[in-house]
This record gives sequence, C-alpha cells and structure tokens, in this order.
Amino acid sequence: MTLPLDGIRVLDSTYVFALPYTGGLLADMGAEVIKVEGPGRPDVTRTGGYAGAFPEGEHGKDWWNRPSTYNLIHRGKRSLTLDMTDERGRELFKQLVSVSDVVMENFTPRVMRGWGIDYPSLRNIKPDLVMVSNTGYGHGDGPYSGYPAQATTQEATHGHCWITGYQDGPPAKAGASFVDFLSTWTALFAIGAALRYRNKTGQGQWVDMGMYQAGVLFTSEYIMDAIANGREGARIGNRHQTRAPQGCYRALGEDQWITLSVGDDEQWRSLCRLLGQQDLAQDQRFVDILARQRNHDELDEIITNWTSTVDKYELMHLMQRQSIPSGPVLTGKDVHFDPHYKSRGFLERVTYPPERDMGTRPFIGRPYKFSKSPLKVQGPSPTFGQHNETLLQDLLGVDDGAYRELVQDAVIATVPTTGEPSPKIHPEQALERGLIAAWDSDYKEQLGI
Amino acid sequence: MSVGVFEGLKVLDLSEDIAGSFCARLLADYGADVLKLEPPGGAASRKMDPFFGDDPHPEKSLFNLVMNLNKKGATLNLEAATGRSLLKQLAQHVDVIIEAYRPGHLSQLGVGYQELSEINPELVMTSITPFGQDGPYSQYLGEEIVNYAMGMIMSISGVQGQEPLKHGGFQAQYEGGLNAAAATAMALFMQFNTGEGQHVDVSTTEVVASTMLATQTLYPFSGGTPVRRRPSGSMFGHPMPCADGWIIVQTGGGASWDDISEFFESPEMLEPRFSDQVQRAEHGEELDEIVLNNIRNRSKWELFPKAAQARMLFGLVQTPSELAECAQLESRDFYREIEHPVIGKIKVPAVLFNLSLTPYGQCAPAPTLGQHNQEIYVDGLGYSQQDLNRLRQLNVI
Repeated sequence: MTLPLDGIRVLDSTYVFALPYTGGLLADMGAEVIKVEGPGRPDVTRTGGYAGAFPEGEHGKDWWNRPSTYNLIHRGKRSLTLDMTDERGRELFKQLVSVSDVVMENFTPRVMRGWGIDYPSLRNIKPDLVMVSNTGYGHGDGPYSGYPAQATTQEATHGHCWITGYQDGPPAKAGASFVDFLSTWTALFAIGAALRYRNKTGQGQWVDMGMYQAGVLFTSEYIMDAIANGREGARIGNRHQTRAPQGCYRALGEDQWITLSVGDDEQWRSLCRLLGQQDLAQDQRFVDILARQRNHDELDEIITNWTSTVDKYELMHLMQRQSIPSGPVLTGKDVHFDPHYKSRGFLERVTYPPERDMGTRPFIGRPYKFSKSPLKVQGPSPTFGQHNETLLQDLLGVDDGAYRELVQDAVIATVPTTGEPSPKIHPEQALERGLIAAWDSDYKEQLGI
Repeated sequence: MSVGVFEGLKVLDLSEDIAGSFCARLLADYGADVLKLEPPGGAASRKMDPFFGDDPHPEKSLFNLVMNLNKKGATLNLEAATGRSLLKQLAQHVDVIIEAYRPGHLSQLGVGYQELSEINPELVMTSITPFGQDGPYSQYLGEEIVNYAMGMIMSISGVQGQEPLKHGGFQAQYEGGLNAAAATAMALFMQFNTGEGQHVDVSTTEVVASTMLATQTLYPFSGGTPVRRRPSGSMFGHPMPCADGWIIVQTGGGASWDDISEFFESPEMLEPRFSDQVQRAEHGEELDEIVLNNIRNRSKWELFPKAAQARMLFGLVQTPSELAECAQLESRDFYREIEHPVIGKIKVPAVLFNLSLTPYGQCAPAPTLGQHNQEIYVDGLGYSQQDLNRLRQLNVI
C-alpha cells in the first residue's frame, strides 16, 4: 500500500464546492471516488456562475465537461449519472452503496428519507458504512435546520462578516465561499477518523455536519470575549490587536501590494534601517508598540513612501532577510510563476486525452505532503457519465438489455438534459468592466502549456 | 477526557501557536489522549488576547483556553539536553506528534522526525508552518496577514481603489490546524493498516491558496487575473444595512426574481432594467436604492425567517454575542460548559461536527501550566518525586 486510501471506494453524491472538493482530495489519496449526478441535475460547477472559465473562453462541443472549477474539483474521479427520481436509479444507487466504504451526500434530510437513502436505511444495506451528510445548518430540530443556505450568505450568519472589513467600515466578505472549504476539510478529517475506527472495530457511523457550525467555531476567540467580557469585537482591517505596524502597502507597479507585520522593537529597528530612517526608531511617536498603534496612520504613510518605489518581491526578500514577517499580495497569475510554489509542486499539471480538447492545465494540488505516500492528482476530471458502463455493467452486473433501457429512459445519460453554460465574456470586455485586473493573450506560451 | 473515535490514540502537542494547538485540540475533542508540552515559562498562546476579565494572567487567556480544550499539560524545556531526552522517552509511546517550529529547528536539537522515527517507526509527525518544510521561502517568517497575502485571497478581497483586505480574526491559523488534523487522520488510517508512520508537512499559505478555485484557474484557462470588486454597483451578495444591522442576499436557490421582489415589497424590481444578471449589474445602484429603502425600517430578525419561507439564499450579520446565544447552535449542542480551576464555570464553543456512534464526549478545560507533570513524569516515566523537584530546579520542566 503506497497511498492512504488505496482500495477505498467512495460514493460522492454531492454538489457545489464543499464535499465535491473533499471527493477530489480523497481521490488524490488513492480512493476510487464515484461522482453521482442526475442526468437532469448536472453539478453547478458545470453550469452557470460557479463554473469558472472555459479553455480559451470556448464552450466547445461538450461545454459541461470543460469549466475550470468543475475540472479542479472533480480531478481523478469516476462519473456516473443516475436519475434518483426513478426507482431504478435509487435501486442501482443502493447496490453501489453495498460495495462502497463511504457515502457523501448533501441533499435535504426530507429528500433522503423520501428516497430511502438516509443513514438508517443505508446502514441496513451496508452495516459498516461511513456516511457523511453536509447541510447548511446541520440535521435536527433547530430553528434554522430547514433554512436554505449557501456559503456567500452564511459568511454573514456565522459571524465572519462582523469581524471582516476595513477599519471602522461596514461588515464585509473576504475571499470566496469561505465556509465551503471548512466543510471540505472537516469531512476529510471525519472520514479519516471514522475509517480508522471502522477498521479497528468493524463499525461504521454517520457524520452529520452543518457548515454554520464550522464557521462559528472559527470565531471562537471573539465569542469568548463576548461571553467573558461582554465585548463585541471590532473591524480592524489589516491591522493586528497586538502588533504594529501591520498592514498592506502599495508596492511598485499598478495595483501591486506588500504586507508586513512588526511584532517587537527589534523588528521595528530593522524596518527603520530598511526605510533609511534610523532616527525613527527613537522617535517618540513610534518608540514602542503602544505608540506605533496610536500613530499607525502616520506610520503607514512613511512606510508607503518607501514600499511604493520598490518591487513587491524585492520588498519581501529585504524584510525577511531582517526577520520581519512580510509577503507580497500574490494574484491568481502570480502563483503560476512564484519560485516557492514551483519548488513545492503545489500546482499540478493535468494532461487531458486529445479527444477532450483541453490540453494541459495546472490545478491546485493540496496543502499537505506525506513523506512516504506520494499524494498527487490521479488524473483528469471525468466526462459526464463517462463510467456508466464500467460501473453498472462490470461492477454491478447490469445486463445489456437492462442497460439499454436505462439509456432509453434517461435514467442514465452522457449529456445533461438541463442546464446552460455560463455566458461568454471576452477578456477585453471583462477588463473594461473591471471584472479582471489584467489579461495576457499569450498565457499559454508564458505557462508553457 | 472524552471517549471518542480516537479513543486510545496518544498524541504529543509541541506547538505554541494557534494552528498546531487547534490541530491537536481536534484530535483531543474526538477522544485522543493529548499531552500539551509547553516550555517552563508557558506556551506563547498564553499571552494571546482576549483575557478573562481583561486580566493578562497566564491561565486567563481565552484564546489559549479554547485552543487547548480536552488536553493534558506538562512542561518541558527542549533547549535543555535533559528535556530532549525526556521527549525521546515520551515519543516512544505515542502515535502522533504535532509541532509548529521553524523547519529544521527540531532536527537541529536532535529531535526531528528522522531521529524520533528511529525510536518509534509508527510515529506520525505533523509539522505546520507558514510555507512548508522545503522550498526557497521555508525559513521565512509567516504571520496571519502574510499567509493571506501569499495565499491569493487578499488579491480578491476588499474593493478596487483601496488596499486588498484580509479576513478578520485568525482564519488561516484555524484552517491550517483543521487541514493538519485531516491529514493526520489520513496518515493514522494508513498507520493502522500498514504499521508505518510518516512525516506530514502542512503549509498554512498553501491551505489558504487551496480555497482559491476560480482565482487560480482563470489564468491557465483564459489568461485573466482576478481582481477585487468595484466599489460601486449592486450590493447583492454583500452586506446591506437594515434597521438593526446588516443582511446579505444572494440570487439563486429556490427563489425566483419575482419572489425576491415580493420579499422586498418592491414591484419596480420587475421592470425590464433589472430583468437579468447583466441588466442588474448595469443598474446596480438603482437596484440598491430600491432594496435599501425597503429594508431601512425592517429588522434582520423579521427578515431572516421570511426569507427562508421564500426559499431565498439569505444571511444576517451576527455579532459574537448573538452567536453566543444562538438557538440553532444550542439545538446542535455546540456549546459546552467547562469548569476551569482559575476562571471557574464558563461556556465554550466546542463541537465541529457530530458522529453518530462516537459522539463528542465530555469537554475538559485547557490544562494549567504543568498541571500533569506529576502524572506524566512520576507515574508515567517512573521518575521519583526527588527527580521531579530536581528537574524543576534545573528549569527542565
């Protein structure tokens, strides 16, 4: 055994970002991950606004297999389509459960019960099954348990918008779909733990996750401050409670930025040397952390006068050599050329078979390395229903006649029966509308793909 | 200690920061026997805001408290040769070591993965650092803001014309801890099956970068570089002020545009200038005016259940004290009460997820400094009471 999940089969009946991404990461670890979609219910990472970009902006003949987000998340998986509203679809799903180790789903509890594929039902089919359910607010009878939810709006509800925002400004969001990823990794943790327990004791179990709960846990210190001291926290932008100066400063070039964080007087003296103003270290306005916090605005101006004339990478090296924590704001383009990301192999190149007409594309790998198990992206994402035949005929033994009927009745399909590609916007138009910062027409040459 | 999915698993936690401590806490939450080893002066986390009653006492850091729930605690000075020999003795009997020192630090002291795995081949050692164990920046110093900047997330956060914005709090550190726990769980599954341990290397910057799906792929798919949003335009998908706070609304989900216009009691939203995504973006400011005008006198608490009824994707900006009193979280048994020897009884956020067969058990407070020295060194390793005193004198524990 060279990979942690060699020999583990995962039935991934989940949509959007959170658990589908868990599925991709499980595949990197050697699991056989089967993505299940309804013929009329293609994943939203294939359609609409969540899909990301198309290769060279072209929808191509099979647009549903080509979006970037779909391809990142579903790497290395197998694809099966099953209409769960048809009894045959549900029956085949249950047969697959009986030969799987893990089932992941994010349907509403009512739907799962109605289809007879909730945990108590599936446990009867596969007693040592590990099942993971992810919903917005978790199962149970709480006031929000039946509420619709999605990461963008949950970011407010679970407390993150309250603590995020420019200094003294209104609440804001940061990043994209933040809480989805907390669920991604929580599921990974829970699956590892539950599988180990299963191998130890022979017993499976049900993992019940609510994204809301994960988001709230990540603001624990603010909640403790409220419970113990009646304090509601504050938005402090890029500054720090106990370090100063800390911030994000303009660097040389358009929309280029450098961050730095000074934690003690020694780092402050080093920064003064770099600023070429050693006398500042003795200046009463900035002499200690308290003074620097009080006069932070003034200090920010002095720092910007320096940083705005120097390249962001050079700034990082200058400061890090003096043991001042510092790093440039890297864009989605920058990471492709950064020597550290390159050396770590964080972005992995996936080469598609010629018939996919997708070429070679680099994708985010994973943020952990195992010394003895070479984790890697195991292959490209599958096309819609690519493994219908293998899984249904070879694995489950569906005969030719029955298979043909499944195709005829659209219980399975290789083309989605609904959904549309996200509209094409030419990069120059996107630039003009301020939707992107820059566009390189020669990006393929630059990347060597 | 709670009995759970990791019952019987033995873990040493050498970390002093948020990420490492959180990782080890998650293992402890689900039943592992976790021993926190701190320098005799206490881990750095004991100096972290906020403090109970605003008193910066080493046992009153609320951050330290929540990061170290359900652990035991002993002191150990790794800078002393005797301290390192104690660590080696302890390492023989554990499944996992969690550490967050600068890459190479423990090896220089002779207690890195290489040395410890020779004593204990089944050991899983998890290292959490800003940039990972290798690569040109591995010796560089990280801070929350640096992880965020280099993890791409700041490049799309905040608004154009102003500086990129970091997330509030210490999200990268929590995320790093959660990833480390997940990777550790997988390495432990493999250890159980093969009898082999290994070294797990987690980079917090890469953790942050892992959330940038659309941001990373745009360039190799179409040559574009994503950017922060424009300062004006539709506030859909962003906090909007109402009578008693802020709400957030996203189109999509089970609600049609008709439902949304009815919710905002604004028939003018059905006019052609708002008929689709492109039109609405074009007339964003007019749209905002209509919506903001409607919610100016409405309460977020009135709007939230109504939006759910309309199957809208809706959120309200909750404050920390609102979260502390949330009925939904109570229904999930999310908060637990602990009895801390210095702070007393206090409620803490605890449960990340539910497990049907091995649920989250009792919740114990973070250990006080050196609380379990006697149990670990005398009862466990067999040192005498006199030895213990001597070790204390020598600043080893």
